[in-house]
Amino acid sequence: MSFPKKPVDNVRSAKTPEEVLSRIREVFGDAVSAELRERKGGKEDRVGFYDAWLSVPKEEFLNLVDTLAEFDFPQFHVISGNDDGDVVTLYYHFTLFQVAGRGKRIGVNVSVPVDKKDLVMPSLFSRIPGVEYSERETREMFGVDFDGLPNKALVFLPENWNESIKPWRRDEAGPSAGDVRELS
Amino acid sequence: MEKKYKVPIGPVHVGLKEPITAWLDLEGEKIVGATVRPGAIHRGIEFMARDRNPIQVIYLSERICGICSFAHVVCFLRAVEDAASIPVPPRAQYIRALVLELERLHSHMLWAGVACYTIGFDSAFHLGMVLRERVMDVLEVLSGNRVNYGVATVGGVRWDVTAELSKTVKDMVKYYKREFSPFYDVVTADPIAKARLRDVGVLTYEEAIAHSAVGPTVRASGVRADLRESSPYEAYVDFGVKAVVPQDYYGKAYGDVFDRFLVRVHEVYQSLDIIEKVMEGLPEGDIMWEKNLNKVLAYLKKAEGTGMSSIEAPRGDDTHVVHLDGGDENVTWWKVRAPTYSNAVSWPLMFKDNELADAPLIINSIDPCISCMERMLVTDASSGDQKVVTRTELLEKCREKTRRLMQNDRN
Amino acid sequence: MMKLEKYLEILPKSLWVTTCNSGSCNGCDIEIVATISPRYDIERLGMKLVGTPRHADVLIVTGPVTKYMTNRLRRIYNQMPDPKAVVAVGNCGASGDVFYKSYNLDGPIDRIIPVDVYVHGCPPRPEAIIEGVAKAVLKLERLREDLKKAGEQQS
Repeated sequence: MSFPKKPVDNVRSAKTPEEVLSRIREVFGDAVSAELRERKGGKEDRVGFYDAWLSVPKEEFLNLVDTLAEFDFPQFHVISGNDDGDVVTLYYHFTLFQVAGRGKRIGVNVSVPVDKKDLVMPSLFSRIPGVEYSERETREMFGVDFDGLPNKALVFLPENWNESIKPWRRDEAGPSAGDVRELS
Repeated sequence: MEKKYKVPIGPVHVGLKEPITAWLDLEGEKIVGATVRPGAIHRGIEFMARDRNPIQVIYLSERICGICSFAHVVCFLRAVEDAASIPVPPRAQYIRALVLELERLHSHMLWAGVACYTIGFDSAFHLGMVLRERVMDVLEVLSGNRVNYGVATVGGVRWDVTAELSKTVKDMVKYYKREFSPFYDVVTADPIAKARLRDVGVLTYEEAIAHSAVGPTVRASGVRADLRESSPYEAYVDFGVKAVVPQDYYGKAYGDVFDRFLVRVHEVYQSLDIIEKVMEGLPEGDIMWEKNLNKVLAYLKKAEGTGMSSIEAPRGDDTHVVHLDGGDENVTWWKVRAPTYSNAVSWPLMFKDNELADAPLIINSIDPCISCMERMLVTDASSGDQKVVTRTELLEKCREKTRRLMQNDRN
Repeated sequence: MMKLEKYLEILPKSLWVTTCNSGSCNGCDIEIVATISPRYDIERLGMKLVGTPRHADVLIVTGPVTKYMTNRLRRIYNQMPDPKAVVAVGNCGASGDVFYKSYNLDGPIDRIIPVDVYVHGCPPRPEAIIEGVAKAVLKLERLREDLKKAGEQQS
């Protein structure tokens, strides 16, 4: 299946979060764990929309994105993450059905553990060009390399930055006490 | 063959977390390619937050951006409330929506004024700024501050809407319904302004989707993407907001700077409607989940989880992700994605095939704010000559184009 | 020394002001824009925002100075003709304020370039910014006298 280029803009073709999750369970079985959160609001505390939280092993990540793309073009928000000891956990934040009508949006948050011995992720750049800055930022802040990302220049750090220091890491690769300044 | 130039722009550029340095490849006056390098104002806010508790981070998140400060606070708080499962009382949700819309009003008016300033339409700039002061007054009555309001807190808001304030707000809505349309007419009916803004910096529907553009930028390309519609959060569940797209008003979406102007102008009217709905439907009740700050902190210290929130800030979709660890009162980690972070990715596409004189306008069109360029260095690649183009000269170039158009119009 | 109020009555020269955002949150910068808007209108006091440091008498700096901006800020300062004055607008430019413990900050501003007037507030109101710039007049006038004397001695 080719990656979609256009979003679903038809209300009838939007799927419910249960349908999306059951398809993911069908494809991946136990490899992917999923949690659904209701977002309520307003005077009567009605459900506005849903967020799904998935966690997936690194090998299945590209397949998962392709499975999401069966439903709609996954609109990309950002990559967040944390240094969790032996692994760097990355969280990819996507949106499905962003233009499919009132309350149809499903937020999809995918967490992927990346082992520190092999800090390489497959790049999504060929599928979603909008990931460029996030992947470059993750590369400079966590030292996670992206396989297939054409431009790997620094984004936010100054041009004379010592690239062996990865500011958001908590181990020896992170900034030492001398690198962090108290201003006042 | 025309000479090729490489023009760096920036980095003294007022743009929240992401002020931009851009290198434009020129052939004569035409831009054939662009490279963008953000990072001049990267302060490492996410890193600083590791040593602070969520209440302290509120004031840090307020200072991510001075224009959409409240949007960042609400987004951060919603992520914390998601991580710790804290409910927000309905009245607090409504007050948050009120301040969010007031903020959208002043941000859009500032942008509309600055866009006029960039093309040399100074009278419209001053008109826009005069209009903007009224909403600043209302924000000052509400919170005591003009820029960083300090209104929201974990599980609610700190200031209530009094009878006096609701009168001020209602007067303001009446004032704008009367006074805003002359400003809008002056710009949209002006043939010169239209000639400068139309077909400049075009971003097509497909490009906008693929590059994850957000907010008025993506809506101007005809995409009905508005988080207040597609994922109504908090009080927006009750309002029934519809995304503003140019094809609903003018039949077709061009995706150019003029459409971005129209979308923002119509969103001003939309915000006024939402403010009216907020004031009519304001429910009674508490404005805070817990008044005692120490109890809130103790609760947050025990809470554990990852929370995420996306809300529609004035420039588009703002995303915060927060993780809290049980036993640690500080924010373990936090990630902020401001709207310009997404929109800047599509800048090189907008630059393509435009004139150098339009560059300031295109940079401004996604609303990164005023004073975008300090100075530019023009390098003549064939001879190695360097010529410094100051921001004044570039602005002058931009304004000269308007004068040229006016001349043609007269002939 | 003359009082500020007295001095402004006989203001010897229109002040041209340029701005540099060295890492601020934009809050101070929109308040600077508000000062040129009709409500506050600094042009009625003979002050004017100019785009380039080469034309300016006063430099307004905002923000806690990121590493990327340190050298650029120095370059902007060096481009200004003498006599010149620097106004630091906002708390974070004076002391860092909420921005502390970061890997990417070189500030506050007075570690990089000499600052003559501090305007406090986060962000300061437009009136405070106007007052801060007006105070720079006194400093500028003293510098001008010094330059004049130095010139006379040489000739």
